[in-house]
Amino acid sequence: MRWLPLLLLLVAGAATADDVYDVLRRGDSGYAEVVPGKTLVFPADHLAHPTYRIEWWYLTANLTDERGQNWGLHWTLFRQALHADGKTEGWTSNQVWMAHAALTTPAGHRYEERFARGGIGQAGVALEEGRFSAWLDDWQLQGDSAEILPGSLHFSVDGTTVQLELDMQTPWVLQGDRGYSRKSAQGQASYYYSQPHIRVRGFIIEPAGEEITVSGDGWLDREWSSQPLADNQPGWDWFSLHLQDGSALMVYRLRHENKRDGERPNEGQHNHWLSGTWITADGHSRALSADEIELTALEYHRVERANDSALELPLRWSLALPAMGDGYRWTIEAMDPHHWLATAFPYWEGPVVAEGSNPGIGYLELTGYQ
Amino acid sequence: MVSKRLGWTLHTLLSHYRHHPLQTLFLLTGLITGVALWVAVQVINTHARSSYQQATQLLGAQASHWIRPAGDGGIELEQYIELRRAGFRQLFPVLEQQLTTSDRQPLNLIATDLLALPMDSVGAFNVTANWSELMQPPFQAWYPQSLAETLDLQPGEQLALASGIRLPAAVIQTQAQQGQRVFMDIGAAMTVLGRTRFSYLAVGGLTPVEQAALSSILPAQLQLVANQQSLDLSELTQSLHSNLTAMSLLSFAVGLFIVFNAVRFSLNARSTTLATLQELGVSVRLLSVAIAVETMILSIIGAAAGVTLGYLLGMQLLPAVANSMQNLYGAVIDHHLLLQPLTILKAWGMTLAGLLFALGWPLWQRSQRALASQRSISDDWLQDGKARRMLALGALVLLALALLLYPNMDSVAEGFALLALLLFAAAWLLPVLLAAALAALQSLIPERAWRWRWALNDGWTQLPVLRTALMALLLALTANFGVDTLVGSFRSALENWLDQRIAADIYVNSEKLKVDAVLQSPLIIDHHQRNGVDLRWGLRPAQVYGLDTRAPDSLQLPLAMHNNALAAWYRNEAGVVLANEQVHHMTGIDPGDKITLTTAAGPRKFTVAGFFYDYGNPFYRFYLPYDIVATLWPDAGNRGLALWLERSAQAGGADISSSTSTAIEQKLLQAGAQPGEWVYRDDILQVSIEIFDRTFAITAAMGTLTLMVAGIALLASLLAIHQRRLPEYAHWRAIGVRRREWLLIILLPLAVCVLLTWLLSLPLGTLLAWLLIHDLNVLSFGWTMPMLVQPWPAVRLALLTAVVVATTLIITLLQVRYRLPATLKQLGGDG
Repeated sequence: MRWLPLLLLLVAGAATADDVYDVLRRGDSGYAEVVPGKTLVFPADHLAHPTYRIEWWYLTANLTDERGQNWGLHWTLFRQALHADGKTEGWTSNQVWMAHAALTTPAGHRYEERFARGGIGQAGVALEEGRFSAWLDDWQLQGDSAEILPGSLHFSVDGTTVQLELDMQTPWVLQGDRGYSRKSAQGQASYYYSQPHIRVRGFIIEPAGEEITVSGDGWLDREWSSQPLADNQPGWDWFSLHLQDGSALMVYRLRHENKRDGERPNEGQHNHWLSGTWITADGHSRALSADEIELTALEYHRVERANDSALELPLRWSLALPAMGDGYRWTIEAMDPHHWLATAFPYWEGPVVAEGSNPGIGYLELTGYQ
Repeated sequence: MVSKRLGWTLHTLLSHYRHHPLQTLFLLTGLITGVALWVAVQVINTHARSSYQQATQLLGAQASHWIRPAGDGGIELEQYIELRRAGFRQLFPVLEQQLTTSDRQPLNLIATDLLALPMDSVGAFNVTANWSELMQPPFQAWYPQSLAETLDLQPGEQLALASGIRLPAAVIQTQAQQGQRVFMDIGAAMTVLGRTRFSYLAVGGLTPVEQAALSSILPAQLQLVANQQSLDLSELTQSLHSNLTAMSLLSFAVGLFIVFNAVRFSLNARSTTLATLQELGVSVRLLSVAIAVETMILSIIGAAAGVTLGYLLGMQLLPAVANSMQNLYGAVIDHHLLLQPLTILKAWGMTLAGLLFALGWPLWQRSQRALASQRSISDDWLQDGKARRMLALGALVLLALALLLYPNMDSVAEGFALLALLLFAAAWLLPVLLAAALAALQSLIPERAWRWRWALNDGWTQLPVLRTALMALLLALTANFGVDTLVGSFRSALENWLDQRIAADIYVNSEKLKVDAVLQSPLIIDHHQRNGVDLRWGLRPAQVYGLDTRAPDSLQLPLAMHNNALAAWYRNEAGVVLANEQVHHMTGIDPGDKITLTTAAGPRKFTVAGFFYDYGNPFYRFYLPYDIVATLWPDAGNRGLALWLERSAQAGGADISSSTSTAIEQKLLQAGAQPGEWVYRDDILQVSIEIFDRTFAITAAMGTLTLMVAGIALLASLLAIHQRRLPEYAHWRAIGVRRREWLLIILLPLAVCVLLTWLLSLPLGTLLAWLLIHDLNVLSFGWTMPMLVQPWPAVRLALLTAVVVATTLIITLLQVRYRLPATLKQLGGDG
């Protein structure tokens, strides 16, 4: 996997990036800034914002097949600008695209990543014949109209083709303060909105030709920024849960590196940046402040990475929202620990089960672990 | 007991090399230089062949197929994106273009989109620079070190092209399969060069199912072709590699002459030792074993040093060879040389065989001889006459073999075998000829010129030692003169031919040119629009061109042979074709024969009306009338537009005035051409000759090296002679021979011998060139040319030889002068 650091250089646009996530920490230098008070407008804001450094369209889904087996998927399109100035169209475009797709099957975990330069049509997010389209090569998230949802998702991983219909139940959820999502006390922020209630139906076609009908719940995140991470934030732990009663919960913590002696890396929530949103079944949302969230890593698992090295990752958690009542307490555990993605930006992402009086399923994403 | 005896026998034998370091040096030099050049060529050949095997790869990525336009003009971005979005991610776009630098050097460019390469191949990429800087304005151009040196380009410099465009800043950086090409990001290249289409799409690793799927969705203008470059390149370049091998073997042979010389000396010097050892009771058997061990030791030292030197030499020669391969065949040769164990083993085997031949055999022979005769001084004289006769006899046998082989020769290998037979026959005849010349001269000189007679008579003493060196010199001179004549003939034939073929003033090759708009210009007095397709004929790639039969250059097509059907070709009749000479020589097709070409509607027969000269083209080429090509191959692409321009009366009709060229360039730009899409006649001629000269740079280098090896042989023999004769010189000095007289004695026979050798090399070299041009070139490349014997290479070689002789003589004289006093003293002491 010698090419990994090479691609990183490209994607990160820096010759000396020890930590690939540095791109998320780079200070604004001519890029558009994320400021509070901006009103997000749809469907216009579903499209790309090339003047910001980075942006993503991020879909996760927990699915079951007709035999009741669990499936999971995540599909992401990342956009990055290599320079603040310059063109976005044509051969001299400063835009670079990266896409990840991962599939959790009853048998295991498969993933792929792809890259493309911007400006030539190989990848992009645009209206095509009036329909929203986010694509890289033949991977495509396509809306039925200028809206993303309802729409469809098509991709293939390792010869397995996924073809899904996506339907939206409730309005878009603006995260943070009407879509302005703060990431640190120093002012790092992003524009962030989600759709937590997506009904997913479709087919997964195995390489041998077997067609499996699947259905379940999906979650779409949209986020763009020019500097979402502060210098002392190595990464984040992000949870999205679909609960039994139809409500949904998103919680993330941006880990701070100023840990005390004797602590495990990334442990001790007192100084981490915590944030979340509670969304009711009918789509009403309430932002959760840091003091409303209790998030603790309960158990670490050894997870194999690509190059025969392993990493200890927190894959069992306890999460509570004490201010909301006694029933708001869960133990969250990864369905399968082996969901490391040895991609240019390496991270862990996979389906989780939440146990509690209002149980659920969802996705966990762990980034920035070295 | 035996091992102990062997030990001291060996010790005694080997002490010779310690006592005579200079002779040891020559022996090893002969071995090492001989082996080194062979190893260098071997390493280059092996490397080139392995590079051809990698021709299914492109810049480190698999490229089992290509998607090419059925006609010409390249591939549109939209077509590529459509295929990618249909899921064919094995495709990546490639732009290849031959550029001309502002100082008229040819330069090949390759560009692709690194982000589009199949993921598993990205690992082959060697990157220390920043990819985003490659892709983002102001971009970068990556040159391999050797190419940057050839172009005299410093990092950060922007290479200027003849079209006035400047390439992005240079970075010294090499990729897999980059070869001697400049690498750029495809977006950067399209932007900088103003291109709108790719040359082709490379396709990596298709399963049969994917291949069928891809073929089915490919638009009609595009075609999926299997990458047969590995096969084609191996086929096309075979002869060139045989030629290189032959030259290196020649050098090995010349090296062996040095070894022979050194052996003769060591033999003479050790004859006493050998006799003493035998007198002390060392059996012939043990002595033979000791000699075998000595041979083995020498062979290991020689081979090890030879391989090392050869490898280094290979690295020096590789860029030149790689450049030629790139320009002639489009072969991409990387510059990381690999030394294979087999090459080392072969080199050692050759050294050992050569040594056994040169050292083992005569030593063993000597050891068999009667003890008594070994100490007789006159034995050498006697032996020499016998040896000359034996050699002459051998030469006659070789000549007879050559005569037998010549009429039946039908492969390149046999051709080189014939050359080897002739060269060695000539070399072995040389001593007899020299002896005869000495005798004849002696009889011509009047009795009273006793100094001259003495001097000539001394030749008989020098000859036995000098003859091997002179044989080596003859080989080297002959090879050099022969190859010089070949290259000179080729160059002049090429120049004449280019003069005729490249007859128009300006050539335009543009995707978007509106031809009719250009032709309205009153400056244009004539034009020639060509079309064409690439296809396969026989086992090789072939080019079909459609010509305007009434264009000035078509009317003056230089033909090697033709028949009556030619008139029909000029009348644009269907079914008549002209082919290049290669078709005639490589496949045996004659005028009037029928050939089959695959047209869009299937195979179709054509009568060959004649063959045109097509120097240096490795491909088969066919000329048909323009309309016929357009009808039979509807996808035929544009092969450029040639324009003849109005000349002002004042300019004497020779040159195009600058106002004319400015006006025509304006016109071309208006008609849609991009800067850099046209080229003037003089530039084509200059670039062609430049490519030619680069191609033969390696030939010249190898010729010079061979001559150097021969020079060393000469030096070794002269030193051997004088060292042996030092006591004799001391005697002469003692009896009052003056230095001038002594010089005359030393110089005259040497001068006579060298002059004769040089003279002999001229007809011999001419014969060699004649065979190379009329037989080997036809066998190898399939075309002929008129032979042109020029005096200049002969004079150059004479001067070079004179310099070599003078140098060796000065070294020898200095040595004699330095050592004579001691010898004189010794003489006095003895007396």
